[in-house]
Amino acid sequence: MTAAPLPEHGYGLPHDVSVDGFRVDELIHFTLAAITVIFVVVAASLIWSFVKHRSGPALYSHGTRGSIGLVVGAVALVLVGVDGNLFIHTLGDMHQYFWNFKSAEAAQGAVLIEVNAHQWSWDARYPGADGRFGTPDDVITTDDIRIPVGVPVVVQLASTDVIHSLYLPNLRVKQDAVPGTITRITFQAKIPGEYEIACAQHCGPNHYKMRAVLTVLAPDAFRNWLADAGEDARRAYDPEDKEAHWGWEWRRFEP
Amino acid sequence: MSTAAQALAEAAQPIHPPPTSFWRQYVFSIDHKVIAKQFLWAGLLFLLVGGTLAMLIRWQWAYPYRPVPVIGQLFLRENGGVIGPATYQQIFTTHGLIMIFFAVTPVLIGCFGNFLIPLMIGARDMAFPKLNMYSFWTFLLSQLLVLASFFTDLGSAGAGWTTYPPLSTNVGTPGPGQTLVVAAIFVTGVSSTMGAINYVTTVIRMRAPGMGYMRLPLTMWGLWLTAILNALFVPVLGSAALLLLLDRNFGTQFFVAGASAVRGGGDPILFQHLFWIFGHPEVYILILPAWGILGDVIPFFARKPHHWYKGTVWAMVIVTVLSAMVYGHHMFMTGMSPLLGEGFMLFTLLISAPSMVVVLNWALTLWRASIRFDTPMLFALATVFVFGVGGLTGLFLADISMDLYLHDTMFVVGHFHFTMAAASFIGAMTGVYFWFPKIFGRKLDERLGKAHFWFTFVGITLVFAGQLLAGYAGQQRRLFDPFQYTFIQGLRGLNRWTSFFAFALFAGQFIFVWNFFKTLFGKAVPAGENPWQVTTLEWTATGSPPPFHNFDRIPEVVRGPHEFSNPEVRRLTGRDFAGQSEVLPGSAGPALAAARG
Repeated sequence: MTAAPLPEHGYGLPHDVSVDGFRVDELIHFTLAAITVIFVVVAASLIWSFVKHRSGPALYSHGTRGSIGLVVGAVALVLVGVDGNLFIHTLGDMHQYFWNFKSAEAAQGAVLIEVNAHQWSWDARYPGADGRFGTPDDVITTDDIRIPVGVPVVVQLASTDVIHSLYLPNLRVKQDAVPGTITRITFQAKIPGEYEIACAQHCGPNHYKMRAVLTVLAPDAFRNWLADAGEDARRAYDPEDKEAHWGWEWRRFEP
Repeated sequence: MSTAAQALAEAAQPIHPPPTSFWRQYVFSIDHKVIAKQFLWAGLLFLLVGGTLAMLIRWQWAYPYRPVPVIGQLFLRENGGVIGPATYQQIFTTHGLIMIFFAVTPVLIGCFGNFLIPLMIGARDMAFPKLNMYSFWTFLLSQLLVLASFFTDLGSAGAGWTTYPPLSTNVGTPGPGQTLVVAAIFVTGVSSTMGAINYVTTVIRMRAPGMGYMRLPLTMWGLWLTAILNALFVPVLGSAALLLLLDRNFGTQFFVAGASAVRGGGDPILFQHLFWIFGHPEVYILILPAWGILGDVIPFFARKPHHWYKGTVWAMVIVTVLSAMVYGHHMFMTGMSPLLGEGFMLFTLLISAPSMVVVLNWALTLWRASIRFDTPMLFALATVFVFGVGGLTGLFLADISMDLYLHDTMFVVGHFHFTMAAASFIGAMTGVYFWFPKIFGRKLDERLGKAHFWFTFVGITLVFAGQLLAGYAGQQRRLFDPFQYTFIQGLRGLNRWTSFFAFALFAGQFIFVWNFFKTLFGKAVPAGENPWQVTTLEWTATGSPPPFHNFDRIPEVVRGPHEFSNPEVRRLTGRDFAGQSEVLPGSAGPALAAARG
């Protein structure tokens, strides 16, 4: 099976294939609309001043109660209407969806994956049939992460050497992989297909090549693939190859 | 006739004879005006270096794997003139570091801080003139370290301007070039700290009689608050650089973790905390002087007092305080505690309030003004525009949800280039065109200035808008060849056009270089004491350029910095402005004027 993500059309956001990506997109569109309004209003007032007030005597004023009130009022309006709105929405989204690892892990059929980043590849580990990480039936892939559609995926991320950042543009999520710690990321795809995994953090000369493919499969196809790959993994397991045993005991999320 | 307060100030700052030897006059000078020029030259020279590096980045994105014309033949010979991935990471790393620490900082803070602080507050020199001289020579040493790094084995630093470990330790960048650059950051930090202490002390202790804090020109507020931020946070950067040097050269492991760490290792994230608690204030360190310059230049050329001066002052103070409490937004994706992340998000959103006050005050200053569109004013208005775009795009990045997608993309690059690069650079150019007559006694050519302005303003807007668009479509930053990714392949045209605009922007800067040298060494037309007809002390109480001792008599300040279009002043003098220390005919002397404020 060859991995072939398709190019994007046009200049906008890449097409969203995730369940929760629209929450990010909605905030982006709201912010874009808000700043466009602010920009147009301020720019129009400035241009009006440039055209109308270029000659003739200037008004002698250090600011009146009315004009200072206008500044304070406009700032308060933006602070509450735009900043406040963003803050409240984001708190909700982070707690309920993007950083809600507890319910993602507890969900029926949730897929758990360990990813180890290193210069310049993404190694992924699935727990295999026994459901535990760090055992001989673990499925290990390189630059090739496969997930089923429609269930939450929770990834625990580590790095061997330097800081990397797992970035899924079509799913609107990103998380750094930091040596010495394990970080988490959760997402859920809704459209099967092949999408790109990128590294977003500069990690050395070949940072630009640290590309992998995310394959979103139908649930059956994913189960079949995992079963086959588990058989292969059991046969290929080499107890002497310490480098390949980078997995760790899954860390349950404790807030 | 002088007042008692003036006599006291005179006694505290007696006139010293100017130095006569060449070395003391032009090289190892303790005169703040000469040191300012030294910083200006050093900064403009490195601006050219940093700009050239930017052109190489843009070439790579427009024509990956193709030989670079001219520069490639000179510096990349062994590679056939082609930029390779290892060279490329050095190019973007040193572009960022040079622009921030070794180009914009010396021009905005080193040059304007030095030149303007004593002249605008009415002092004869800095509080510590020798420290001032040491500050420049330490700075020059740091610049030399950066240049030297290019000639080492494996080349210069390559870990990005943020120098994140473990990439910046021997794990990722083993060459001596990275060590030299980290050392350069430490040394330039020493220089900045010396300068900052000097600026803070000078503004507190040496303001002329009558120059209360609420009569300071806004440029002084900007530079003073900047100096406070520098004094507080540059030492933190210094400590991070020092620990990193120990990690690189003495086997410690403060920031090393993962496979290369022995016995547990350290914490790479600790470096990010140290770096960004400096790094975010640094953004304001670069923008506050520009805000200050605009706060004066806009009312000067609008011929109207600054709208709600006190509001702007307090807004700048609040930004200064908040600037240290927002830095975590650079680290939203490191896996930080959600509670901590949300706190940083809250403060980041809040800091937009004082910034909006500053911008709206500019807009209201221009309302019903009598605007003169001289070159400095054009640059000032362009700064308002680019800062507005930069500030508004910051709203996306303040927010954790949107950062899930936008963090570490070209959108971030576009955003901080609009604020830190465009606003600081055009803000600095505002200052250069405005104070050039005071610094050198001659006025830059207006026609060349306006040509330079249009190239710069249109060019910068298009280039950084191109970056914003690329990032909006998801393109990550710092990619040697972005088109390895299928989803970025559609952005080839966008990247190439952005590069074309960047080349035009760069070419346009040579209009400035030509103007600069033509004015400096061409036929001399003295600018006169006050060519812009403005109010602050450097224009109204001394000549152009000012003498070694700045003021023949230390002025007594009797009014605020923006007294324009006052009908009373016009009736008494026939002019639309009154100098800060000017005694109006018919008024009962400085004492009465001081009482009236």
